[in-house]
Amino acid sequence: MAVERSPRADTGPRQDKGDAPSARPPRRPLSWAWVGVAPFFLFAILFLFLPSFSIFLRSFESLDHTFTFQNILDIFQKSDIRNAYKLSLQVSAVTAIGGAFFGFLLAYAVCMGGMPKSARSFLLTFSGVASNFAGVPLAFAFVATMGNAGLVTRIIENLTGFDIHAGGFTIYNFWGLSIVYMYFQFPLMVLIMAPALDGLRREWREACENLGGTTFHYWRYVALPILMPTLLGTSILLFGNAFGAYATAYAFTGSFLNLVPIVIGAQIQGDVLYNPGLGNAMALGMIVIMSLSMLIYMWSQRRAARWVR
Amino acid sequence: MAFLDINHASKTFADSAAVQDFDLHIEKGELVSFLGPSGCGKTTTLRMVAGFEVPTSGKIVLNGQDITDKAPNQRDVGMVFQAYALFPNMTVGNNIGFGLKIAKKPKEEIAERVTAMLGLIQMPELGDRYPFQLSGGQQQRVALARALAISPQVLLLDEPLSALDAKIRVELRYEIRRIQQQLKITTIYVTHDQEEALTLSDRVVVMSAGKIEQIGSPFDIYNYPSTAFVASFVGTLNQMRCRVVDAGSGKLALGDQQFKTNAPIKAGAADALVMLRPEELHMGVREGDNSLTGKVESVAFLGSVVRVHLKLGESVVTLDALNERKLVLPKVGENLTVSFPPHGCWVMG
Amino acid sequence: MRRFPIWSWVWFLIGLSYFFIPLISTFEFSLRMIKGRYTLEAYRVAFQDPRFYQSFGYSLLWAVVTIIISLLLVVPTAYWVQLKLPKARPYVEFITLMPFVVPAVVLTFGLVRLYGRPPLILTTTPAALIVGYVVLSLPYMYRSVDSGLRAVDIRTLTEAAQSLGAGWGTILKDVIFPNLRVALLSGIFLTFAIVMGEFTFAALMGWPAFGPYIEEIGAMRAYTPQAVSVMSFLITWGSIMLIQWVGRGARGQQVQLGGAR
Repeated sequence: MAVERSPRADTGPRQDKGDAPSARPPRRPLSWAWVGVAPFFLFAILFLFLPSFSIFLRSFESLDHTFTFQNILDIFQKSDIRNAYKLSLQVSAVTAIGGAFFGFLLAYAVCMGGMPKSARSFLLTFSGVASNFAGVPLAFAFVATMGNAGLVTRIIENLTGFDIHAGGFTIYNFWGLSIVYMYFQFPLMVLIMAPALDGLRREWREACENLGGTTFHYWRYVALPILMPTLLGTSILLFGNAFGAYATAYAFTGSFLNLVPIVIGAQIQGDVLYNPGLGNAMALGMIVIMSLSMLIYMWSQRRAARWVR
Repeated sequence: MAFLDINHASKTFADSAAVQDFDLHIEKGELVSFLGPSGCGKTTTLRMVAGFEVPTSGKIVLNGQDITDKAPNQRDVGMVFQAYALFPNMTVGNNIGFGLKIAKKPKEEIAERVTAMLGLIQMPELGDRYPFQLSGGQQQRVALARALAISPQVLLLDEPLSALDAKIRVELRYEIRRIQQQLKITTIYVTHDQEEALTLSDRVVVMSAGKIEQIGSPFDIYNYPSTAFVASFVGTLNQMRCRVVDAGSGKLALGDQQFKTNAPIKAGAADALVMLRPEELHMGVREGDNSLTGKVESVAFLGSVVRVHLKLGESVVTLDALNERKLVLPKVGENLTVSFPPHGCWVMG
Repeated sequence: MRRFPIWSWVWFLIGLSYFFIPLISTFEFSLRMIKGRYTLEAYRVAFQDPRFYQSFGYSLLWAVVTIIISLLLVVPTAYWVQLKLPKARPYVEFITLMPFVVPAVVLTFGLVRLYGRPPLILTTTPAALIVGYVVLSLPYMYRSVDSGLRAVDIRTLTEAAQSLGAGWGTILKDVIFPNLRVALLSGIFLTFAIVMGEFTFAALMGWPAFGPYIEEIGAMRAYTPQAVSVMSFLITWGSIMLIQWVGRGARGQQVQLGGAR
């Protein structure tokens, strides 16, 4: 009695998502397996964690090497330190919001705004370049644009006879620096938002229309809520990005603007206000702020990933 | 004029005609399937009814109203997508109530309707879950409830079960039909799975390459296919090229064996393509039926059906026999005599 | 039937202007060394400065060293995590986020304090600088290699190779590296661009790298700094172009966040 057997389809190898624990139990004791990642961890401990920890510890060290909270308190009490934080927070907030807003509009324009595909790849490429073109050369580029002999300055003067620098107007201030920062802020937003916008499935829009919704309903009830974690997270990323910026600020406004990274930099180079404990406290303050930003960003990533599976 | 008329609709994209001269009249409360292989135009036609594609020519009339140029959010149709398309940021309850919320219905009415819908799809406690917490089958049920919540005149389903596991597919298939019949809602169901189409539909529209091949009841499509495409697409089909012995009396020959058919044969034809369904063949000799003998090539036991491949002359023929406990399975390589009634086959071409 | 997307074009053109006006201005400015006409004099002067070559070569050398160290640290780790130790993944990814939390200024501060005195004095050698560069490049290098590994499902490939009898040497040579080529090259080019443009570590620790050189001449001269900025931009642009070219057809666009801010 010959019965032909039809092969049962194999369910195939289980696809791990990569962060699920290994399906196979390790053959050797767990301790050996960690050897492979030891150099990496060692490097991180030596050159990331230890320095950070040292900063943390020495924040509580006073000039005569005793334990004190005074350094931390000084951050809030000493007006020039407080102002440094305030200024840094302001610049970061302004460029984060501006960069997020403008970057989102740009990403929307090329992803869903009815523009040709070439516009999109063009924008994404240049965003990749611009978000990396920060620091000293960027500062000089803006000097050549808006400075005393800058191209834009001259064009405006030729066209309107108006010398924008006449009345003591200068770009080397809060707003000038913000404009410079925006150069690498909004491309970053574009780079992160473009894939997020792509993730808005066409069917959601169609389902919304099918149920009677207009474009307004779609954005209000579906698209923006879905995008919100990414929008928020990326804005925070931009915030942290600006807060930690040193090179651009130093090259553009020198020590004129009292920003936290500038002050810390001055401390490293042995400045007037030689109180290492205070310097450490300021550095610690920066770490705290950046950590908060990072936590919010990670939370938002998780939120976004959960919905758009 | 029927409830939903698709009058000679066509859709052409850049260089290809996705749908050509699609003409169909659907009665109220009917479930009609669009069945065909990928690319045959069935989804495009559905999307024309939904309003996501605008016909290049032709009209769509729903309940007397011409909706051809109406925006998708102004038609009275409910659509269920292949990929569920549930809004991930809303709970099940809010998804279902979304259409009503947009129509600015009062809160209590929305809540009542959502509860009713949840009961209809038999998921009464899952109103506060989010789509990512549900299985594929559950998500699709919610999508169905969402489309029905707005009490549309027509329900459109675009291959709703293709993304699901086989077992869930069968369960859900019956659910959908049950709900459709309970609500008596006019429905179009697009699928490439003929079993689905045959099980669910009042009528089936078989499509190929943008054109309608045949419209009919499942029984008619299966047993009286009007084109070769329909005959071979729906179900398994034996096609035997036979020599015509005598066209008038329906005598044909396969190799050196003769048999008779009731189907008309073109006068003067030298040969004919004879179509025969596997279940019309029986093992052994039967009184009054044709009988042919061939060599067994393979035997597959599929559970309720035993499928035998038999070499008859130049052709290999498939025979499906219902399983019985006392059945003796034929052996590969042995000779087997099979029989079929003269009215069981037909001639094409 | 579609409305012309006027607003999309408006934003797009504004965005493009924002990108290009500074670049055009810099280039235009760099041509104005000699009054009255456009000339490449600024570039000539830049190329004549011996310190240009010194600092450029200096940065180039350390860029190569950074790349090597970074690769040696990251590739085995990424591979290990993917294949043998998925449990370590959250820790490794946390580490790659740290450079964002501890920006260059702060890290310099910590490094100088910690390694500027016995027992381990690093700051008198460029080692401290390289350490900074490696930290800076770690996130991108790791992310690049990691997504490269994931994209080709390296575990299944390794198992398939092993079942066909391949030893580790063959697996590395014929299975892993060819599939990682794009990811590695992306990481390398980006690290290169980052190191060449880096300012903070070098300036604060007092090393004669390319970044501080540009800043110095910016403080002292006119026109030449803009010429060098143009060159710096071309390096960045070239690196990104190379990354895109190498990765053409590969899945998934990487978000390349740069280093020096």
